Formats: sequence, C-alpha cells, structure tokens
Amino acid sequence: MFWRMVKGALFRQKGKMLMIAVTIALGASLATAMLNVMLDVGDKVNQELKTYGANINVVPKETALLDDLYGVGEAGAPIKYLKESELGNIKTIFWAFNIVDFAPYLETNARLKLSDNEIKLVGTWFNHHLDLPTGEALNTGAINMKNWWDVSGDWLSDDDAGYAMIGSLLAAQNNISVDDVVLIETPTRAKELTVKGIFNSGSDEDEQIYVTLATAQDLSGQAGVVNRVEVSALTTPDNELSRRAAQNPKSLSIKEWETWYCTAYVSAICYQISEVITDSVAKPIRQVAESEGEILNKTQLLMLLITILSLVGSALGISNLVTANVMERSREIGLLKAIGADNAPVSFLILTEIFITGIVGGVGGYFMGLGFAQIIGQSVFGAAINIKPMVIPLVAVLLSIVILVGSIPSIRLLLSLRPAEVLHGR
Amino acid sequence: MITGSLLRRRSRMFVALLAVAVGATILSGLVTIYYDIPRQMGKEFRAYGANLIFVPSQNGSTISRIAVENASALIHGNMLGITPYRYESGKINEQPFMAAGTDMEGVKKTSPYWFVTGEWPTDDKSVLIGQKVADLIRLSTGSVFTFSGTDSAGTTFNRDYTVSGIVQTGGSEEEFIFMSIDELDNAMGTSNEIDVVECSVSAGEAELQNSADQINESVDGITARIVRRVAESEGTVLTKLQALVYLVTVVVLLLTMICVATTMMAVVIERRREIGLKKALGASNKSIIADFLGEGIFLGGCGGLLGSALGFAFAQAVSMNVFGRSISIQPLLIPITFVVSVAVTGIACMIPVKNAADVDPAIVLRGE
Repeated sequence: MFWRMVKGALFRQKGKMLMIAVTIALGASLATAMLNVMLDVGDKVNQELKTYGANINVVPKETALLDDLYGVGEAGAPIKYLKESELGNIKTIFWAFNIVDFAPYLETNARLKLSDNEIKLVGTWFNHHLDLPTGEALNTGAINMKNWWDVSGDWLSDDDAGYAMIGSLLAAQNNISVDDVVLIETPTRAKELTVKGIFNSGSDEDEQIYVTLATAQDLSGQAGVVNRVEVSALTTPDNELSRRAAQNPKSLSIKEWETWYCTAYVSAICYQISEVITDSVAKPIRQVAESEGEILNKTQLLMLLITILSLVGSALGISNLVTANVMERSREIGLLKAIGADNAPVSFLILTEIFITGIVGGVGGYFMGLGFAQIIGQSVFGAAINIKPMVIPLVAVLLSIVILVGSIPSIRLLLSLRPAEVLHGR
Repeated sequence: MITGSLLRRRSRMFVALLAVAVGATILSGLVTIYYDIPRQMGKEFRAYGANLIFVPSQNGSTISRIAVENASALIHGNMLGITPYRYESGKINEQPFMAAGTDMEGVKKTSPYWFVTGEWPTDDKSVLIGQKVADLIRLSTGSVFTFSGTDSAGTTFNRDYTVSGIVQTGGSEEEFIFMSIDELDNAMGTSNEIDVVECSVSAGEAELQNSADQINESVDGITARIVRRVAESEGTVLTKLQALVYLVTVVVLLLTMICVATTMMAVVIERRREIGLKKALGASNKSIIADFLGEGIFLGGCGGLLGSALGFAFAQAVSMNVFGRSISIQPLLIPITFVVSVAVTGIACMIPVKNAADVDPAIVLRGE
C-alpha cells in the first residue's frame, strides 16, 4: 500500500517531480564540478607554476666559492663535478613522481674567434631520452626547463654535435645570425659550430653559448661530468615542520622525520636528491620555491571560498523548491489526515517521495558535474581533472541535508493544520 | 493588486525573493572577483622579485642616478619597488669577495624571497652577508670583519663592518656582502656608479615591454630589459587562473539562473487556481500576465538589489581572507545584476503564467 502510494504520487505529478529532480540534478552537478575542480586545482596550478623553471639547484659539495663570472674566482682551485651517469638516480627517489624535469649543465670559458672577449659556453641536455634503472623512460632537458626562452631559429636536439644556440646579446654584439658558422676556442681545443638558434631569455644567459652536453665535455676536456643540475619539482608549500627540517633534519624526532621525509616539501626532495648523487648538495632556489607556495595557497583558498558560495547557492535553490512542493500539497495531506492517517506515516510518505526524486536527480547531476569539471579542466589547463571518489559521499550527504532542511519544517507546518480547514481551502 | 498579492502570501514570496537574492549574490560576487583577480594575484606574483632590470647601455659601464630617475618616471603600471646595485670586489682575510652596495628598504620590496637570519642592517656599518661567505670565513651574526679594497684613486682602504644578518636565497646572492650603497660609494670615493637596477612593477607583459621600449629610446645610458622568466610565466599563470574563474563563474551562473527560474515557476504554477478564478471573473489574458509580470519584476528588482550588496560583501570577504586586501567595486555591476535578475524572474514567470492563462478557466478551477 505504502509503495503504491509513493508510486502514485511520483507518477501523478510527473511534471513537478521532474522539476525537483532537474533542480536537484543541477545543484548536484554544480557541487560535483566545483568540489572536483577545487580538490585538483592545487596540482594543476602547481604544474603551471613550473613555467618559472627550476626550483632546486644541485651542485657539488664544496664547490668553488665565487662564480668566475665576476672574475674573482680562485684561480687554480680544483673544480668539483657531478657524474653524468648518476643523473638518472634523481628519478628514483621517494618523490620521483614529483620531479617534473631536470637538466644538467657543464660550463666552461671559451673565446669567439670574432672577438677576444671571454664568454661562457654551456653544455646541457635539450630533450634527452633517459632509460631509468626502474625500467621507465623519460625525456627531459632544457627545452622544458627554459620554456620562457624566445628562440628564433630552432632548438638544438641532443645529437646536434656541430651546432650551437647563441644568446641574443652576444649575437647582436658580434653580428651573428642563424646559420652562421662560428669558431669556438677553449684553452685546449677549438671547434667550428653552426648557429641553429638565437635565444632571448632576459637574463645573463643572453651572453652565453649553449651547446649539447657532449660538445661541451669535448671542448672542455671533461668527459662524463657536469657542473650542476637544475631540477623542477612539484612541491607542497612549506610549514613550520619543513622550516625546522630545512635548518637541520637531525633536530626532528623520528616521527616528525618520517612525516617530513614522506611529504613533498622542497627541503625533503632536496635531501633525497643529495642522497642519490655522490658528493652533491641540493638547494632550493628560494625565489621560485617560496613564491610558488604562496601563490598555491592563495589559489586554493580562493577556489575553496568560491566553492562554498556555489554550494550555498545550490543548497538554497533546492531547499526552496522542495519547500514550495511540500506546501502546495496541503490538500492532499489534509485529506490523508481526515481519513485517519497518523502524522508519522504521512511525513514518511512525503519524505520517501522526495528522496527517490532526489536520488534520481543526484545521480544524474553527479555525472553531469563530472562533465562540467572536465570541460573546465580541458579548456583552462588542457588536462583532465582527476576525479576524486571522496566527492560522492560529500555530495550525497550535502543533498540529504538540503532535502531534509527544505522539507521537514514545511511538513511540520502542514501537520499542525486542522484537516477541515485545509480541505476547505484556507 | 500586486502589493496585495505579495503581502497575502508573505512566506511564499519570501522563498522566491531568497532564491533571486542568492542568484544575484552569486552573479555580483563572482564577477567582482573575476575582474579583480589579475590585480590581486598580480601582486602575489611580485613575490618572484624583479621583472624589469636596467643595465648600462653598451657604450657605458655604469648608470647614473639621474638616468635611473628619468627611466623610472617612464614606467607604466604600479611600481612596487626599485633597487640599485653597485658591485665592487674586495678582500676579507686576503680572500676575494664581492661587495654589493644597495638600498636595503628597496631590497625588501624587490626581493621578498630573501631569507635573512638575524636582522636587516639599519646603519652604514652593519651589513648582510651571503650564506656561502658566512660558511667560508666562519662569520655569524654580530661578528666584526675587515673589508679591504682599492678605491677609484688607487689607494687601499680598510673598513670594519658588523654582520647584522645572513641571507639565504639558493642563488648567487649568497656569494655577496650587501651594504648600503652610500657606504660603498664612500669607500670607493666615487658615487653615481650603479651597475644594475632591479624594478618590480605590477603590470602586464605588454605594458612592461612598452615601458622598456620607451626607456631604451629616450633615456641615455640605460638599457631596460624584461626578466622574461618572471614576466612571461606570470602572464601564463595569470591568464590560466583568470580563465578558471571565468569558466567557474559561467557554470555557476548558468546553474543558479536555472535554479532561480525553476523556483519562480514552481511559485507561479501553484497559483493556477488564482489565474483561473480571475479569468472566470472576466479578466483578460493580458491583464493577468501584466499582474504576474509586475510581481515577478518587483521580486527580481528587490532580489537584485539585495544580491548586489550581498555579493559585494562576499567578494570583499574573499579578498580580505585570501589576499588581505580590499577589493575594488565595479559600479557597472549593480545595474547589470539588477537587469539580469529582473529578466530571469520575468521570463521564469511568463512561461507558466502564459500556459495557465491559455487554459479554459473551468478546467483550472476544477483542479486538473
């Protein structure tokens, strides 16, 4: 009998129930889309912030103090290097998945045949293919790390042994254009290189020459080594724990140490990188690491507040409609009471109807919301938004509360009315 | 008649008003945030430091202060900080080091990411030293050292300084000793010799490029260069963020409008009997529609006004919470919100009223 009444109510007022279902579906889809986007926005923005380049610099321990750029380097001091063969290890640390890209650099002083000024020659990977000990493979290098470079001509590839890329200032000073051949001399060797591209980076790189790592090793007479490695990693914003750890990891208790080691703090990633590369020190580049955390926190907070606003909006919309629907059924409730129904079964009957409608609308809305989230993800970040299963219970609980809040007060109001008056139409 | 119907059905109308107001709040709140994001986030991005630098032009080796002043007057956009640097080499304990003369207050603005252990220098005799310098000659905050060098006239000088703080940046700054530029000028015996000027400007990339071009054209002795890494990336990330808020706003608005419309429809549909009665008493379709439309527009108007105020309050709360700054009002938004709310409620009323008005009153009154 009960279910027959429910069924009857659902089908008799098809139009109204459909309207409630549609509204609930819209609200649910809004909640689903916003929650999914909000939970994923941190990762997505973090990925975008990688355009700022490396946030970790790996150098040999006890590296020569002063950069020879300023001409005050300690002449004759032995220069330390990192081993090129160990670079793949960076992708084997605990947070390997968070390492987006990295590129090694080998710097040496050279002379252009055209002018007598000493310039800096830098060898690096451009788009180097690496097979990892774990069986994975990746492509990494300067093309990804220096994506703000404005290149006229072409980027080098890693087998372009006889080619070079030249900084825009250096090219302008010496009237070099793309496809010219320049003679590069180092104290030990000389080589003719064809200019494949001229880049503008807006920093002192504009006065340097970039070649492949192999060419630089050949010109400097240093096989299999690099000066430094720049790493771009996805990190979690710093907090009190990571700041203490950055000063001295040994000051942490075992539990704190584990938390720190297993969180993607920039200091933890640095620590793990220096563990896998012999005689190296990995240091966060504060300019990038610090600002990233700041911007990430702000974006997440912003999205959280927008999400709350839209949730409140859809909740009010749904509960409004549910209230309106219950109120207009005063005659029906009056009739039920007049023929002797108790308050409890009547309320239960109405709630069941609305909940069935709500479930239909909610399920539909959830999938619609996933669609919205993907549209947002694809058009803004060009990548799919990760779907978090956690959103399902959240939306379910939210909808139940909203429906209850929308219907219970009005049901109580109707039950308190006298059947005769209601039926009379007052 | 309109006021009568509004007053008689107070609770129901309150529900409808609430729906419209919430819709309008979301509209005005989100759009305000959307317009203010570039400005607010742009300020956050200035944490990356200088995005425009002045270097000496090719024929000169240093920049004069007057040229810097001329150049900075040409920059469009909001100048957050400008810091000159003068580099000179010298020795501590017979080891070579670079001293950088600068303006500490400026550094705090153009390089907010510097991590200083100890204090920032307050007088000419206290200096900041880089972490690497501190490690190499084992200096800590409070220790005193002698810096010696050769001034521009060729005579040797020895000056004592106190370390007030040690700076960590992860970059080449850790290899320098930072002191006030006046002090370095005094030691060297010459002033007006600036090597680099860093500027942090809150402006878009195109605007920056524009400023740089103008400076290069009209100020002698200075080449202005955009720090591409910072300027370009800032542009990319800001565009994406704004696109995100834009899309979210559109989706939220669409759904809210539909919600408002369905609520209004529900409110009107339940008054079919009233419509039937009016028709039976001889009202024309036109006057019935006008009645309901008047009601809807009144509701929409009230909700719209209420919503614009609430929306602005919301945007302000978001801005204060997230950025700690107040938001700028878009005056145009108030009429827009008003018009949109009136239009949405009006249309939402029209459809069911029209349907009801077209039906034979007898059928409506019988309750079918």
